[in-house]
Amino acid sequence: MKKYCRFFGCFLDAQENWLNKMAQKGYRLIRTGKMTYDFEKCKPGEYQYAIEFVAQQSFKSEKEYRTFLEALGYKVFYKNINLNFSIGKIKWRPYGRGMGQISTNPGSYNKELFIVEKKNDGKPFNLHTMNCDKANYYKPLRNAWLTIAAISLAFAVWFYIDTNSISKEVITLIILSLLCSIPMLKYQKRISYFSVQSNTEE
Amino acid sequence: MFLEESRLRDSVKGGALTEVTFFILLSLYTPNHGYGIMKFIEEKTQGRLVLGAGSLYGAINTLQERSWITPLDDGKGRKKEYVITKTGKEMADIEIKRLKNLISIAEEIMGGQV
Repeated sequence: MKKYCRFFGCFLDAQENWLNKMAQKGYRLIRTGKMTYDFEKCKPGEYQYAIEFVAQQSFKSEKEYRTFLEALGYKVFYKNINLNFSIGKIKWRPYGRGMGQISTNPGSYNKELFIVEKKNDGKPFNLHTMNCDKANYYKPLRNAWLTIAAISLAFAVWFYIDTNSISKEVITLIILSLLCSIPMLKYQKRISYFSVQSNTEE
Repeated sequence: MFLEESRLRDSVKGGALTEVTFFILLSLYTPNHGYGIMKFIEEKTQGRLVLGAGSLYGAINTLQERSWITPLDDGKGRKKEYVITKTGKEMADIEIKRLKNLISIAEEIMGGQV
């Protein structure tokens, strides 16, 4: 068994690429920790990995989806997207859908991602293959970033009005908001691309 | 807060179904489970149309909401099976009529060139 310490946070593509590279080198994922990945030896290229953001779903629909994937013969791992070391906690996800807005521990807390493993059959492994569906896949990701960007901007404005001066807090919040806009715009670009594609095809 | 669009782009009024929707309906004239639907589509199109698991899951849920397909049992077994409903069959009939009409118009215009 081999243990690797890595933290990809919100860089889902990087995490997916890394896992696939490990699989090509002959390492199969057997366990995920907060910042660790345990591997065992396998034939090089025996498995393929795909990552999906599921934090917008309620714990119930997440479990249903997981059962569905497992019935197809895939293996599903949970993975956290951020670092939190707390026990017994409730978290509000403003970008969630319905019950997906509330995340509890134990429950969907710290399980924002699915890592899906499939035995390599020589074909590319994509969970989403329709254009409209690909656009929908990136929407929750964009919304999550949009929420943080909007909230920090709102706080910046509030502080500015409150103190009537451009203080350190205001500048920090504006920078945070701008930083969050980068991934938001990246995902927005993909959504727009696939939306246009799905209007002409399918 | 964020409205979710229907995952499948079928124009329900005009009767035009997406290829994916039509194939899922066809695969369920006999009860089938998720993996079976995937294999059915791949085989019938000789691998031209490959459906990802996430896309299939979304499509199954959408079609269930429209009551075009229905799960067979209460889903107690690990492999949930689905089957087409009466409404689903009606939609498939409408689609066949639309496609036949489309082909006859095309043949009329393009003549023997095809």
